[in-house]
Amino acid sequence: MTKPFFKNNLPKMTDQTNSMNRRSFLKSTALAGGGLMISFTWLSAFKSSGKTDPGLPAWAELNGYIKITPDNIIKILNPNPEFGQNVMTSLPMIVAEELDADWKDVVVEMGPHDSLKLGPQFTGGSNSVRMYWKPLREAGAAARYMLMQAAAETWKLPAEELTTHAGMIVHAKSMKSGKYGEFASKAAGIPIPKEVKLKDVQTFHVVRNSKKNVEGLKIVTGKPLFGLDYHQEGMLIAMIAHPPAFGMKLKSFDASETLQMPGIKDVFTQKLYEEGFEQGGFDTRTFNDLLVVVGKTTWEVMKARKKLKTEWEPAGETKDTMGGGGRKREIVVPGDLESTGAQLEKMQEWASKPAQQLRRDGDPETAFKHAAQIIERTYNAPFLAHNCMEPMNFFAHVTDEKALVAGPLQAPGWSEPTLAKLLGLPADKIEIQLTRMGGGFGRRAYGHYLYEAALISKRVKAPVKLIYTREDDMTYGIYRPMYTATYRAALDARKNLIAFHVKGGGIPEHAVHANRFPAGTVDNYLAEGWQIPSNITIGAFRAPRSNFNAAAEQSFLDEVAEAAGKDPIDFRLELLQRAKENPVGKNNEYDADRYAGILKLVKEKSGWGKAENKKYNRGVAAYFCHNSYAAHVVDMVMRDGQPYVERVTSAIDCGIVINPDAATNMVQGAVVDGIGNSFYGGLTHKGGAVEQKNFYDYRIIRMHEAPKKIDVYFVQNDIDPTGLGEPPFPPVFGAVANALFKATGKRFYQQPYIPQLNATPRAF
Amino acid sequence: MVILALLVSIVAGAISGPARKASHARIAGDEETELLKDSARSVAAFKEVYKVLMHPRCMNCHPAGDVPLQNDDSHLHAMLPRRGNGGHGVYAMKCANCHQPTNTPGLRTPPGNPKWALPPADMKMVFQNKNPRELALQIMDYKSNGHKNKAQLIEHARDTLVKWGWDPGEGRSLPPLNYQEFVAAWDTWINTGGYAPAR
Amino acid sequence: MITLNINKKNYNVDVDQDTPLLWVLRDTLGLVGTKYGCGVAQCGACTIHLNGEAVRSCVTKVSRAAGQKVVTIEGLAEKGDHPLQKAWLELDVSQCGYCQAGQVMSAAVLLKENKAPTDADIDAAMAGNICRCGTYLRIRDAIHRAADIQRKGTEKT
Repeated sequence: MTKPFFKNNLPKMTDQTNSMNRRSFLKSTALAGGGLMISFTWLSAFKSSGKTDPGLPAWAELNGYIKITPDNIIKILNPNPEFGQNVMTSLPMIVAEELDADWKDVVVEMGPHDSLKLGPQFTGGSNSVRMYWKPLREAGAAARYMLMQAAAETWKLPAEELTTHAGMIVHAKSMKSGKYGEFASKAAGIPIPKEVKLKDVQTFHVVRNSKKNVEGLKIVTGKPLFGLDYHQEGMLIAMIAHPPAFGMKLKSFDASETLQMPGIKDVFTQKLYEEGFEQGGFDTRTFNDLLVVVGKTTWEVMKARKKLKTEWEPAGETKDTMGGGGRKREIVVPGDLESTGAQLEKMQEWASKPAQQLRRDGDPETAFKHAAQIIERTYNAPFLAHNCMEPMNFFAHVTDEKALVAGPLQAPGWSEPTLAKLLGLPADKIEIQLTRMGGGFGRRAYGHYLYEAALISKRVKAPVKLIYTREDDMTYGIYRPMYTATYRAALDARKNLIAFHVKGGGIPEHAVHANRFPAGTVDNYLAEGWQIPSNITIGAFRAPRSNFNAAAEQSFLDEVAEAAGKDPIDFRLELLQRAKENPVGKNNEYDADRYAGILKLVKEKSGWGKAENKKYNRGVAAYFCHNSYAAHVVDMVMRDGQPYVERVTSAIDCGIVINPDAATNMVQGAVVDGIGNSFYGGLTHKGGAVEQKNFYDYRIIRMHEAPKKIDVYFVQNDIDPTGLGEPPFPPVFGAVANALFKATGKRFYQQPYIPQLNATPRAF
Repeated sequence: MVILALLVSIVAGAISGPARKASHARIAGDEETELLKDSARSVAAFKEVYKVLMHPRCMNCHPAGDVPLQNDDSHLHAMLPRRGNGGHGVYAMKCANCHQPTNTPGLRTPPGNPKWALPPADMKMVFQNKNPRELALQIMDYKSNGHKNKAQLIEHARDTLVKWGWDPGEGRSLPPLNYQEFVAAWDTWINTGGYAPAR
Repeated sequence: MITLNINKKNYNVDVDQDTPLLWVLRDTLGLVGTKYGCGVAQCGACTIHLNGEAVRSCVTKVSRAAGQKVVTIEGLAEKGDHPLQKAWLELDVSQCGYCQAGQVMSAAVLLKENKAPTDADIDAAMAGNICRCGTYLRIRDAIHRAADIQRKGTEKT
């Protein structure tokens, strides 16, 4: 089924952030000498259970995020699902900072799903740090305040005379001092303040200092952390046989042989959504009629599933009922058995039709008519599979009274209401445990595999772990959409850019961000979009839409700069200067100064134009998305006729960097991911069936193809932190395309790039 | 088998005609064996052998470089395993780490054989890019064929890894001759003098 | 009944001879440090040591391991302090972490056979292990670092 305008179908992701911001920012006042006085009410909604954890040590709970033992172990809960973006470390660092704790005393635990205590708990949209920044500072500061009050009462001293330092409360005059632990149980009884003072960011000693991944040791010693590692006594294993193609459904099956296989308990069909079921924003389903095999062990179920005799038939046109955002509506899902060739033809056909106007400045038609030179280029990109290293899976134990589910999930807050409806249980009878995720990239925001596991458990009346094999995972839908865009630029006789036009389309959604650069820099501007409905399901994929735009638009600007006879960085800087001094239009999403800042930084740090770098084929690109700015210079060499990215220089502006070394790691990873996906990534269809099944035909970048060096530089500023998981990823595509041009003399308009070279893998 | 071999060689011979420029490579152990040398039959048989040796099932593990090839299009093996001195791979990338004593069931799973390996570094036995003459001379050359004498060459066609070519696991194409035809052609080629074609 | 020696302990398991060692480790013995990633020896997440070789357990039948010496990530070093584990922490290699056990197990064979690997040696040894998060540069650096730690350790003794 299709969510053509998936973003528009949803209450905006930012709604969740806003609700927390509303709660947080009733009043904030800058204090003389730095720091902020914050008034808030959300934290006081928290009521201490009054109970301590069973056994020793006795945890005194100061608020939803912080527990402290008498011997000064400080436990901080991480609220947000961890999928490799390192929030298990970075979010508790924010709490520890305002708590003024010594990081050595801190232990971190993954929080339960509990939006009342822990907020939106949504991993996606590069939002984790951005949306938790202020609430977590408040939580830390409030607890620090309570500890100081408790110390003041104990010592019978005025609280104003106390200070804190690395987990100690100090009274300078009397030379009295004590660790937080000594006051924790008393502090737990002190009312949560409605107003606290936040630190001056210049005084930070935890945040902005690199801290190691708190789960690093568990990871390298093989401790159970991931959903697939989750185990419960008596747990059964389930797998689903899904149709071989999009647009197909089950006609009949014969499980007699499967049921004879050792360890097999049951084979049955299970509907995911009953007709008319109102799906929420992240409830995308690919296949609704599930053929389920349940057995004792993974291998037994894998083997037995192969023995199923199945007959599939075209599903024809189907309907989805969409809820969410308070609007109920029906979406018609076409029944075509799509093939990549036909998809491309269809896109070509639609590209010439009138499209929806998304933004217009000035008079683009006239400007193009009077242009001295027009450059027009069309870019295409295929569907991409997320290919998280840990395939989709979920544990569920559903009884008539309650449900326990556990596994890898990015959006528990979105999945819970749907699960409650599906199971007919009140939300407070549903416990969602969040495991570490073996990658996410957007894929695990779509909770269908959790619902499937829960429905299966309910049916077999036993704890069940649903497992997708790699082949299931790759062919089960939810992909980065297939995109195209035609760009046109008009230059006047003096080679000035006088008009810009982008017309983008896609299956089933287009990627155009109408109000982003270069909107605002050109007098005459037109953005249009169109989209073709499809039964191939799509979803967010590391910087949705941006990951195509930054390839197409940034390659195109490279050609425009060339046509204008300008250096590609200088050309962009000139446009940004215009956007700063005299912006066109009102609704320009980016900050021209910050955008220019990363370009200047990457220019300086990469030694752009320097003689010693002549040996490299260099490509540059910069992009703004998810509230952050990223630029890369890619240094490419040719080896045995194959392009190899040897070195990359990256400049990032994401405001305050919480955990610099981990942030650097994330940018390096995004660069490698970007090279890999731009070089090799692509999913094709034939007769509705996905043609790629596993890593042998879906190529993933490997060690020997990764650069020797990726130097990452962050713009130093005190702006509140914004996202980092997505922003560095999209511009890699553009920088790689531009470097490929230098390396081969050929422009690359179609992703993935390597098949365009007629290439085989690079030899050593 | 003899009849089959004759048929093969006659048919092949009829097509290609006697190879007048055929060279007779020295086979170790020749002296002790009475040979019915027949260059036309020998060359004709080798042409059949050549079709098999150049088939991806055989050639993929006799690459020009130090990385084996994969699939029917003989592209470089995806994760670029290296030959290593003994032909068994290097470090964490030894052949037998993935290639089991038997084929792994399923499509595009690792094929297997107890002897799965490339030829060793000091005796690479390259098939890729070799024309029939070059390949025949290489096989007949004691110094480059793994120090095999005539009997050992004959025996090599009975090797379990060679036989794997005709039991390559699900979804892999088979060489153009069946195994019996191949062995017959191989034996004929060697027993009639191991002549190499002119080109 | 098959007898396995895993991390210096003997186990008797009652499973089908064809069962991949991976699933015996994970499902039967609860040693879940060894990961499932592809099931066809493409990604290396399931790498274990079988008689000292970096074998892909997802395609290795349990029968091949019978009576042989198996080491998994849980048993690489008793105290979790193998030079590679130390180096991985020092360089904070992991992102999602799912592939890292397999990466470490592959790297361990490299370091055993080559005390001072070059970048090219590392590329040759590690090309069978996929990391979707793209931590390859840090893995490379961590292997160099582990070689250092290993060398210094040996020098002392």
